[in-house]
Amino acid sequence: MFETFYPQLIGLCTGALLLTSALMVWRHSLLASIRLLALQGAALAALVAVIGIAEGESELVLVSLLILSVKGVGLPWVLAHQSKASIKQIQESPRLNPTAALLAVTLLTILSYVVVSRVFGLGDSETGHAAPIGLAMVLIGFLLLISRRRARSQLIGFLLLDNGIATIAFLTSGGVPILLEFAVSLDVLLVVLILHVFAGRMRTKFGGTAVDQLRELHD
Amino acid sequence: MTGIGAGLVLQLGLGALAVASALLAAPSLRSRAGGILCTLIAVTGFVTGVAALLGATGGLLIPIALPMDPLLLAPDRLGGLFMLIVSGVGILVSLYSMSSTRGPDASRTAWVAMPVFLVGMQLVPAATDSVSFLLAWEIMTLGSTVLLLADHASRATVASAGIWYSAMSQLSFFFILAGFAVLAAASGGTSFTNLQAIEPGSWAANVAFVLFLLGFGGKAELVPLHVWVPRVLPEAPSHVSAAMSGAMVKIGVYGGLLVCVRLLPDGPAWWGISIMLVGGASALYGILQASVSSDLKVLLAYSTTENMGLVFLGLGASMLLRGYDASAAADAALVAALLLAVSHAAFKSTLFLGAGAIIHATGERNLDRLGGLGARMPVTAAAFGIASLGAAAIPITSGFVAEWMLLQSLIHGGRLDGAVVSVAASVAMPLAVAVIALTAGLALLTFVKAYGIAFLARPRSAPAADAREVPPLMQLSLALGALSVLALGLLPGPIAALVANTVSSNPTAAVQSVGLGGVSLPGIGAVLDPIMLVVLSALVAIPVFVSIVVSARRHPHRTVDLPWGGGGSRARPRMQYTATSYAEPLVRVFDDVLKPSRDVQVTHVAESRYLVEKVRVEQHVSDVIETRLYRPVLNLFQRYGIVVRHVANGSIHRYLSYSFVALLIVLIVVSL
Repeated sequence: MFETFYPQLIGLCTGALLLTSALMVWRHSLLASIRLLALQGAALAALVAVIGIAEGESELVLVSLLILSVKGVGLPWVLAHQSKASIKQIQESPRLNPTAALLAVTLLTILSYVVVSRVFGLGDSETGHAAPIGLAMVLIGFLLLISRRRARSQLIGFLLLDNGIATIAFLTSGGVPILLEFAVSLDVLLVVLILHVFAGRMRTKFGGTAVDQLRELHD
Repeated sequence: MTGIGAGLVLQLGLGALAVASALLAAPSLRSRAGGILCTLIAVTGFVTGVAALLGATGGLLIPIALPMDPLLLAPDRLGGLFMLIVSGVGILVSLYSMSSTRGPDASRTAWVAMPVFLVGMQLVPAATDSVSFLLAWEIMTLGSTVLLLADHASRATVASAGIWYSAMSQLSFFFILAGFAVLAAASGGTSFTNLQAIEPGSWAANVAFVLFLLGFGGKAELVPLHVWVPRVLPEAPSHVSAAMSGAMVKIGVYGGLLVCVRLLPDGPAWWGISIMLVGGASALYGILQASVSSDLKVLLAYSTTENMGLVFLGLGASMLLRGYDASAAADAALVAALLLAVSHAAFKSTLFLGAGAIIHATGERNLDRLGGLGARMPVTAAAFGIASLGAAAIPITSGFVAEWMLLQSLIHGGRLDGAVVSVAASVAMPLAVAVIALTAGLALLTFVKAYGIAFLARPRSAPAADAREVPPLMQLSLALGALSVLALGLLPGPIAALVANTVSSNPTAAVQSVGLGGVSLPGIGAVLDPIMLVVLSALVAIPVFVSIVVSARRHPHRTVDLPWGGGGSRARPRMQYTATSYAEPLVRVFDDVLKPSRDVQVTHVAESRYLVEKVRVEQHVSDVIETRLYRPVLNLFQRYGIVVRHVANGSIHRYLSYSFVALLIVLIVVSL
């Protein structure tokens, strides 16, 4: 029963990952991006759980719970931890218009398919076929990093990049040991907390978090 | 864990404790606590160094995850000698800084950097593989850079010195790293035992030699890589300049010895000749600049270049002579170079600490505004005087023994059993003797000037007239330094024998201790016994002195009033020689080398142009190598640097885009 659904479940999860990534580039509202990030975390957790059940590894199911709690709930909560009224108003004015950005996403996805199939080979397994999605997520995350002006939107790009790396790890090698995954998740949480505080300080000090205004070094 | 390993661990532990105390201690206690802990670090290093010098083995193994040889800190005899030098200077500097530091020099950052600097310098000679060597080297450089920048907020020159120092240190590090990389690639390992397997004549060894010479030469202040010295040593706090000149520069020498004696011994003749050339040029250029400088610390800084030049001259001569099997003379030259390094550590750190005491008391380092400090600061004057004697290589001080031994080996080294060993040696050795002779003469002039103008005669400015002796701890450190200069000069035999043990396979054939701590060079047939010399001179001098005293008693003292003043009764401090006027003949003689810029402004009386109201003379001697060699290169970089500024304009988006584009290009290239 599960065997028949397995390829479709993998396809569904990775498709959700790619779709949320593309939507993050498209949507300009910070709140929407954060919700998409939560959705993506849940999709990643589901992907890990599916792989875990298919390979019969209970450890991976634990990891998927960890991912759900950190990436699906924890991080988005930290990012959205602010009065809803003010966060709704935050609109990004990106350096790339939506059409060009979506076009770039398409090109990056194609590129990652080409790279993975030429360099590593797609392999026979379902997870191997889906591996380019991880690379595409990394590249899209990078694109967000360079096209967003606000510090918090860049933070979302950074988290997307991290999700991409995790996706590659789970799709190609069936995941990393739980201890390592635990440590990495904690690291990411810590980095986000620090950057979040930092962005808050920036806003109180300069009245905005537009990063491209910060060009001069001060003592 | 054996004794040496325990010593190294104790040093690291004390270093961590000192860093913690600098961070946590209250500002009033910081200097006291930091000074005590740094002294303990240096004492531990001293004991460890003595143990290693006497032949104790053992060390500290640090396992690492990277796929290369493990890091092993285990000093051999030569490493022990340099640990001894560094920690000896460290003790003086730590004691001194306990009461000398104030204001920004005693900041939390400075006291964190101090133990880091000291421990870093100790670990370099203890390293037995290139990775730990480079690691310790960088720790040392980092610590010294932070210490140098202590006072950057109030003086713009400090920031500029910091930039020069960082750039030159990184250049040195780059060359050393490249040298080790070449050797490691050729031998397939990073530990020194692996690197020793390389044939000295191979191309890898030749390339590495040039890279190492550039790298270690930069740290050892050799011409033309010395440009950081006259900026950095004067601008750093005095105890830091003492540690840099007394100890850190020796680490550069250690690097040279490591390459030429331990890793790649018996290299081709051109190695020795090129080291002699660089050393000789540094010695001459350094002392020439020192002799015309009127800034006390710039003078000391250039004199460091001179001394290191002589050390490298000795090293080069020993390499050249060893190539022709004149091993007794080669050993003597090498021992002379090492003795010079040891004695330079003693006298130059004392001199820099003395200069610090002068600045502490007067706030001046311009010799033209000093004078008369001998009566006001007797302990500083005595210590500075003894160290000056050492720097000028006058008998019964350490400098004399080393230069004597170097001259002996150079004069006798060109011949073996009466026959000339080679044409190259018979040309190089007399030239080297001439260089040393000229250097010694100029050094005498320089230190007569430094001591005479600063401490004798009458004060040339109000701060000099109001000077007071420095606090007791600083006096103690100065006295210890001066005593070490005398001890090394009076008892050279045992020390030379120990030093010979570090580098020679047959030490007793090269250097022996004879008489009352005297030194003998059996291979050359020369003996020097300073204590006997002192006793003999005393035998001659005491009767003369007694007869003078007796005759003075016989004739009662008469005061003579000048019947007609002749100008002598109205002598003013302004009429005395200054440092500039004292060196003026020298500037004329060496005009072509020094290229001084002079500016004479004459203001005439309004009514007649035959009457002069005021004459203003300004003379500035700049570093020719800096203006002729470095400036054009820097200007070129500056011109293209402006273009690069558009590429790196501080926008984080632009930097991120660069990495993104680079990543995309890599992906596209690998998938093609």
